[in-house]
Amino acid sequence: MTAASATSDPPATAGTTSLGSPSSGHNQQARQVRRTLTVLVLPSVLLLLLINIYPLLYALLQSLRNGTLIVGGDFVGLENYGDVLADPAFWRAVRFTVLFTVVSVFCSWAIGLALALLLRSDLPGRGGFKVLLLLPWVVPIVVSAKAWNWLTATPQSPLPALAGLLGLNTPLFLADPTLAKIVVCAFEVWVNFPFMMMMNSAALASVDDSVYEAARMDGASGRQQLFHITLPLVARSTYISWILMTIFVVNDFPTIYLLTGGGPIDATTTLVILAYRSVFENFQVGFGVAIAFLMSLTLVFVSVVLYRQVRKAHA
Amino acid sequence: MSHALRSSLSRRRFLGLAASTAAGAAVLSACGGRGGSGGSGGMKFWDMPWGTPAFNDAARQITTSFKPPAGVSPVSYQVIQWDNFNQTFASAVASGTNPAVSTGGGFQSFQFAQQGAIAYADKLIDKWRANGLYDDFLPGALGGMKTPKGYVAIPWELDPHVWWYNKKLLDQAGAAVPTTWDQLLAAGQALKAIGVVGFSTGAGSGNSLAYETPLSLMIGNGGGLFDPGGNLDVLNARNVEAIEFIKQLQVQGIIDPASVSYTNDNQTEQWRGRRFGLGNEQMGLADNVASDVSSELQVMSPIVGPHGDKAALVVENNIMMYRNTPSQEGSEAFVEHFVRNMHVFWDQNLVNGLPVLKSIVASPEFQKKTNYYKAVREYQPIGVSYSARGTTVGVDQSKMDGNSAMYQFGQAVLTPNVDARTALTNLSNALSSLLKR
Repeated sequence: MTAASATSDPPATAGTTSLGSPSSGHNQQARQVRRTLTVLVLPSVLLLLLINIYPLLYALLQSLRNGTLIVGGDFVGLENYGDVLADPAFWRAVRFTVLFTVVSVFCSWAIGLALALLLRSDLPGRGGFKVLLLLPWVVPIVVSAKAWNWLTATPQSPLPALAGLLGLNTPLFLADPTLAKIVVCAFEVWVNFPFMMMMNSAALASVDDSVYEAARMDGASGRQQLFHITLPLVARSTYISWILMTIFVVNDFPTIYLLTGGGPIDATTTLVILAYRSVFENFQVGFGVAIAFLMSLTLVFVSVVLYRQVRKAHA
Repeated sequence: MSHALRSSLSRRRFLGLAASTAAGAAVLSACGGRGGSGGSGGMKFWDMPWGTPAFNDAARQITTSFKPPAGVSPVSYQVIQWDNFNQTFASAVASGTNPAVSTGGGFQSFQFAQQGAIAYADKLIDKWRANGLYDDFLPGALGGMKTPKGYVAIPWELDPHVWWYNKKLLDQAGAAVPTTWDQLLAAGQALKAIGVVGFSTGAGSGNSLAYETPLSLMIGNGGGLFDPGGNLDVLNARNVEAIEFIKQLQVQGIIDPASVSYTNDNQTEQWRGRRFGLGNEQMGLADNVASDVSSELQVMSPIVGPHGDKAALVVENNIMMYRNTPSQEGSEAFVEHFVRNMHVFWDQNLVNGLPVLKSIVASPEFQKKTNYYKAVREYQPIGVSYSARGTTVGVDQSKMDGNSAMYQFGQAVLTPNVDARTALTNLSNALSSLLKR
């Protein structure tokens, strides 16, 4: 008997149940199965609670205290949240986090889709091409960040030197706030487009070629095929990839920490960097966890909104 | 916290890398955990990677050679990595599984003392007064660990910020080794004329020189973050003057315009590439540059401020004892054993900080290292810590090193459109807010 059949058996009708009747035996058996299933599922449920719920509750409690890394501190209610929301640094970080996320998610998605479409064609050596394109995603972030630092950090680095040769006045990519924002966004797109490419490749693989053949026979242009066939048919995968990438990007600590550390003068500070500084540099655990908690709640909200789109696309 | 080793990854960078896996509320929640059982069992000594792995091998040998007093168990040795070390120690203290003795962050002992976790070393120091070991410490070295309640730890190494110059480049520029701010400006201009930066600095990710360099100048000008009474006093005239001087260097093109984003690695690379010719750096600079340029780098005498002040930022790395120990007598005996045998670190060239014992300074092995010897003679006597212009390290002073306000201050100083007074005002506000929370 499967779990579904065990739990979907109709209940015994009133008046017909009595000890020893076939219906009573059936109910007893169903209860026994339910008990067995409960016992079997319980360890996993407890593990999930321990792994997910306990840290969240613990984080919530910490955000309500004024502790440090050494001591738990006193209960201060919502004071940390009030301090966070009143802190201009928080709102600066919110603005850059939104910019960083939107640019990174949509640019990496657009590039990923374009490359997935390219790889769908009969490109010679596309297997090798695919492997090469995956490299930014496969290489450890510390190595990539070091490479980008080498490319951009000093006036003698290759990119500023090249720009200088082209008469662009040796731009200081990581020292200028605007250029630093562009560099971290570009780096994030570079790291993440292979993931988007894979997601889109998988989605495109499920689209039958005959759909495009029919569209071509009806005289649809390439642009019309993209907007009226490709995008609608990969919409579900697109929304899922947006959800995942939004979570990845918002929580991305190493990219920014290794490239700019959130600078210059806070220009590239995201919420996760701000939370890190509060906890690990200032030892203000409650304040930092409050930031992280607000961030998590926002992420859950965004994920739910996007997930509704997934369900709509599925319907 | 101070920094003894800066070869490729700084301590805070390690911390950052470790924390890269710790983003999000759930993981952040793991810090500051409490609970646990009473600590007992064998004596433990937790040490940090203060140099190459050979350093820890030598420290392990010192530990295993310790003959404990009767009734005290032998001491075990464990290396604690810099990544998340704050959390490692805090969790251990909270759960009662802390070591009996440890090294650690420069201000760790002060912070743990405020939580009642540190065993003060006064009794041990009294013993040393009697047996003569006290007199082997360089003048003022032990005093840096003194708080109103007692000595929180014993210093074992000094981490000074010293002025370095590349002799070959300075000769090429035809500049004299500067001894005053005016001469520093003149040397910077001469170096600039040959395409070399005359004031090294950096404020990129995890680079603590971001704030240590301006603070060195502020302290060298008779300023500091506190008044003599220990109250926060960032906007004093000496500090403003020092930061305005850095701004002057910046305006005249003596500072690398990309410095604001330089990591410690970037700075070292610029020295290695002979693009930096002069600057206030850490003691290990020549060792970290590790190329033929190293031999061109020389420590110069401390630069005198415009009012005749001469002081240097020096942090004392220390060895601390914890109250939760199987035997306080054993802890004290071990610390004494460690101090009496730590000369091997300098004999074998295993650390790039300065010794605190006169006997080590007097050894022929140490005196061969001319830069180190010069630093210990000229910088140690004028060394002050983050507590300057105050004299003791209290709750507020122990929070100055490595907080985000200090990093941002370092970046503001190197940002062209931020003037000195604004940078210091922002620092003052941020520190006030930090200390209030």
